[in-house]
Amino acid sequence: MAWNKPLPHPTSISQPYWDGLRDHEVRLQQCEHGHWLFFPRTHCPTCGSRQLIWRRVSGEGRLYTFTVGRVPTLPEFTDEMPQLLAVVELDEGVHLNTTLVGVDPADVRVGQRLRPVFDDRPGEVTLLRYTPVESAHPGVIAGEAAPAAVPAPGVEEKPKRRISCKDIAAMKSLVSEEFTGWSNAFEVTQEIINQFAALSGDDYWIHTDPERCKRESPFGTPIAHGALVQVLVSRLKMPMDYEVVDFVNIVNYGSDRLRFPAIVPSGCSIHGRCRVKSVEQLKSGVQVTLEINVHVVGQDRPSVINDLVMLYM
Amino acid sequence: MGLQGRAALVGAAQYKPEKYMSAPRMFHLEQIADLATQALDDAGMTLRDVDGLITSGAYFHEASSFVPAMVGEYLGVPLNFAEVIDLGGASSVGMVWRAAAAIELGLCDTVLCVIPSRMAPMSPHDDHAMEVMRSSRFGGHSTRFGAPEAEMDLPYGHMAQNTGYAMIAQRYAAQHGYDVAAMARICVDQRFNACHNPGAMFYGQPITVDDVLNSRMVADPLRMLEIVMPVAGGGAMIVTRADKARSLRHRPVLVAGCGEHVHSKSPTYAHDMLAMPIGPASRKAFAMAGLKPADMHMAQIYDCYTITVLLTLEDAGFCAKGEGMRFLREHDFTFQGNFPMNTHGGQLSFGQPGSAGGMTQVIEAMQQIQGRAGERQLARHDLAYVSGTGGVMSEQGALVLRGDQ
Ligand SMILES: [Zn+2]
Repeated sequence: MAWNKPLPHPTSISQPYWDGLRDHEVRLQQCEHGHWLFFPRTHCPTCGSRQLIWRRVSGEGRLYTFTVGRVPTLPEFTDEMPQLLAVVELDEGVHLNTTLVGVDPADVRVGQRLRPVFDDRPGEVTLLRYTPVESAHPGVIAGEAAPAAVPAPGVEEKPKRRISCKDIAAMKSLVSEEFTGWSNAFEVTQEIINQFAALSGDDYWIHTDPERCKRESPFGTPIAHGALVQVLVSRLKMPMDYEVVDFVNIVNYGSDRLRFPAIVPSGCSIHGRCRVKSVEQLKSGVQVTLEINVHVVGQDRPSVINDLVMLYM
Repeated sequence: MGLQGRAALVGAAQYKPEKYMSAPRMFHLEQIADLATQALDDAGMTLRDVDGLITSGAYFHEASSFVPAMVGEYLGVPLNFAEVIDLGGASSVGMVWRAAAAIELGLCDTVLCVIPSRMAPMSPHDDHAMEVMRSSRFGGHSTRFGAPEAEMDLPYGHMAQNTGYAMIAQRYAAQHGYDVAAMARICVDQRFNACHNPGAMFYGQPITVDDVLNSRMVADPLRMLEIVMPVAGGGAMIVTRADKARSLRHRPVLVAGCGEHVHSKSPTYAHDMLAMPIGPASRKAFAMAGLKPADMHMAQIYDCYTITVLLTLEDAGFCAKGEGMRFLREHDFTFQGNFPMNTHGGQLSFGQPGSAGGMTQVIEAMQQIQGRAGERQLARHDLAYVSGTGGVMSEQGALVLRGDQ
């Protein structure tokens, strides 16, 4: 998949730095008086010297500070949620911006030792990320076999409780404020969005034209149709610990409520969860309202809320 | 050296903060003319008195250069001093001292300082509108070729203000410890003040420490209620010669001291992320005024985030470095308390009208000193400290204002 995030455009001054990363080396400038500097410049900001040379360094350092971003700084970064933004102080004393990989946000500590991870995924350039020295994370993230940013939670097939739709007390006991765990994750690629646009006839540029979105859309990248994300629920396996049995027919009555509170940027993964909101005995059968919420992985705010009404007859 | 207190703030006007989308759209020139006449009315002056102008240039709608000439022509005012300022949230503090300096130098008599912050009407064929939208998308970071941040920050998702301030707060926590409840009190006390200010966005909506702590985490450790709400607004202030000010409508508010300091654009590249430019700026302002932090009757501290307030209290010298949490626990920041701060509600509760956000603080200090702050009027109200902050602690300024005796 094409890299849809902002990319650096190296200048003639910074090119050696990016060339270094591409060779999986960290290179920094040093002036004749031994001062190290970053970002790349034409002079030393400490002493003003213009006698600078590029040197290879280990790239190791300590975590100077970090934050766990819970709201994407741009929609394009939604797949990294939560964003582990960090400033690293290299052993040479300079600071640089990066993101941490291979560490749980709860285990991040200011001052911890970090080692570089060369991220080849963007294609034209290699980005420099960091991981704790003791982490098992590989030192290179390969371009082609890019690991999913968030591994899909394994959906275990456990034996399920069987609940008869004739047993109204048992059916009512399913009603809960608690949602199930998360389903598997499913990637909403631009290709799927294009297919849906062709099928539905809704080919508005905000869904289908990445170049124009880059220029004119407040999101900067195409977004999936709300209706598309709604139907993709069929791709999500919700870990429910019961199954309803003893019915002759299920009728989908539609939705009590259908909302699209947050966008799904192209290339993001979605997952979902649900809960039984209400169970009612009607003359014709048992009516179950299932609240289904679909989120972009890592996002608190749901992208689809669907109160789906089903009748078991 | 320094200002002699021969220039005074005499009047001001600001739009009531409103949600961006529901606020009226006006051309920036139109807003400037409207705010200018309102502020001059407040002072008891007219456009004929004005011979100096400072406005904000960033995001100015109708032009990207030659802005003061365009504004002077629109107002019909020949100018002896004209300037555009580009210090983000520190712009208003920067305007006041520049105006005072120009007046004390004898360059001009009366300066209009004005920042329009309502959206302008947009035409679909307007490239500028697209550029403003693009820049707001990147949180004020430059995306242009050759800009270090475009190359080194944006590809990693480092952009906009929330995460930058959060990283400063996290560094503070690691070095000095962090008391979330004490930090939340900043929001709660300021909200109390806003509840006594009918002009504030959050008038009539008190909050508790629990409300702050239960609000959504945005970027650890900063929560939703610790972050300003951007609003449409804008304001204008009039600075004139102190001798002239004495014959006008309100008590002259003398500009007694000022300081400004600009360092790294991104806090990442600061030598010490916790040493704020407001330190040197405030020391200069107090020294110029011949006063100490403890002499102040109020502090109107730029508060885009709670962490901005904490670090300003420390670096401006209201308490020692690392003592901020204790200082927060020991003081009541309401207008009724032992350390009146952001008596209008602060931007956290008044709302942040873009670059004019910092102007709400200058105007509140002026009105308090003039004795016309209504219900929230302080008993002791002769001396005020005001700070301004632009970028992510990139550019900061301080004023010491003194009521004319
Ligand atoms: Zn040097």
